Amino acid sequence: MSNATLTGTGPLRPHSATAPAAAINEDWLAVILGLAIFVLALAGLVHVDLIGWVVNTAVWSNFSLALGPASKSYAALGGFGALLATYAALTVVLSAGAAALKTDVKRFALAFTAVFWIAYASWIIGNYANFAAVTPAEQQKFGISWSLKLTNEGAYIFALIAGLFIANFLPRFAEAIKDAVRPELYIKIAIVILGGFFAVTAAAKLGFASSLLLRGVAAIVEAYLIYWAVVYFIARKWFGFSREWSAPLAAGISICGISAAIAIGGAIRARPIVPALVSSLVLVFAVIEVLILPFVAQTWLAHEPLVAGAWMGLAVKTDGAAVAAGGITESLILAKNAAQGIHYQPGWILGTAATIKVFIDIFIGVWAFVLGYIWTNFINVTPDQDKAKAREIWERFPKFIIGFVVTFIVGLYLALGTPADIARQVPAAIGEANTFRVIFFILTFFSIGVLSNFKALWQEGFGKLAAVYFVSIFGFVIWVGLGISWLFFHGVTPPLAG
Amino acid sequence: MSQSNIRPELQEELRNTAVEPLLPIEKRLIAWSLSTGLFLLVVLATINHFFPPAS
Repeated sequence: MSNATLTGTGPLRPHSATAPAAAINEDWLAVILGLAIFVLALAGLVHVDLIGWVVNTAVWSNFSLALGPASKSYAALGGFGALLATYAALTVVLSAGAAALKTDVKRFALAFTAVFWIAYASWIIGNYANFAAVTPAEQQKFGISWSLKLTNEGAYIFALIAGLFIANFLPRFAEAIKDAVRPELYIKIAIVILGGFFAVTAAAKLGFASSLLLRGVAAIVEAYLIYWAVVYFIARKWFGFSREWSAPLAAGISICGISAAIAIGGAIRARPIVPALVSSLVLVFAVIEVLILPFVAQTWLAHEPLVAGAWMGLAVKTDGAAVAAGGITESLILAKNAAQGIHYQPGWILGTAATIKVFIDIFIGVWAFVLGYIWTNFINVTPDQDKAKAREIWERFPKFIIGFVVTFIVGLYLALGTPADIARQVPAAIGEANTFRVIFFILTFFSIGVLSNFKALWQEGFGKLAAVYFVSIFGFVIWVGLGISWLFFHGVTPPLAG
Repeated sequence: MSQSNIRPELQEELRNTAVEPLLPIEKRLIAWSLSTGLFLLVVLATINHFFPPAS
């Protein structure tokens, strides 16, 4: 999450002039925490189960069977014991992270307590059989006659709705827990872990996985060169926005939501309030997209799973919403196909969405430099010391991607380059880390909800920004994204399970 | 966003921003960006056609 300010009280919290400088930024913190979980999980390869106590939730009709530790080695803990252990561990580790970020640790820990329990309670509710059971066999197993068939990952929607309720009806409470409402931190940790998980999936079909790279390049082309130019033109020509507003707005809508708006805003030397306000808009529309697009994809793209995954990566803005939408889409589409007797291997749709998003993220710094160079040299000509410099490419590079690449390469090596007896254990070991990934997704969804106040859309002035966003997203970005996804992934299906 | 009351001066700015005409450099940026993007898309689509995913 950026630290730019929105109004001084919003969730995009400022570094005040008097606040001590943080020892680390959120990106590096995400890399450290994500890698730490990954490394602890790998201890399973030498038969040391260090994180098997993390809580897992199954679809349930009898609450006593809902929760359990991820590993049988910790069965003695029981479901609630595992939940408590998970809460305690995350509180301690993330509070340490908050200390590194120079956030008030006590306030963070208290706020995180509320965030964790509300978010996880929403997740448990969403896993109730009448919401999550998909196949007739499951319904029979749980003794129910109907189900919304949202799947267990559809329960993310419940966490999102809980957050939305708090944001829109309990604004004081939302303000009270804002220290722990950090969707960007949570999703970045999740993406670092996801690298290892995706590697295990990709190892089985390496040629297929590598062919995704070309499609990642296509995503960059689309997001940066086509989307940005069109949205910038719309904002400038049709809506009459100034250059200072149009460039970050176009970046937020077309590239990668919050991080892109902040990066481009900084590059063109816009006032901090400009990208911060754009970021708040990005979140609101990302929520709308997450609530709609996965279900649209399930309805019309169930037989084109990778088109659906790529579409989520291209159309849904912000890392958190896009990757999480990929997770929901995967769950919904796999369930629909399973009901028809087609069992695709899990991981590919989510992996495709995440890969597309990571590829887009990689070039934020480069695009920011290009625009910064043009702005500081030709549009708002600045003194030499304030002109855009090449080192800004690295400064604006989203560092959590390094974590994703590291876990992907290590995961791939372990799955393909080690003796068979070790390689066999890799999926289970990384699977435990993946349980943490799911928890960070839950926290991300809840946090996005808490940051999304729909009332803001109706505020005078804000409506014009929202109109650009609406026209661009629903009139252009979503459909072009779908077209490009179809062009590159049409007819490509994930491997069948087993 | 839970407390996103826009400051009055920003509301005023968003409502009454004076129109800044597109500068030649902006037009060139838009045109260059779009044409390069479309060209690369055609190239990538062609590559994709001849080298489909190794499923």
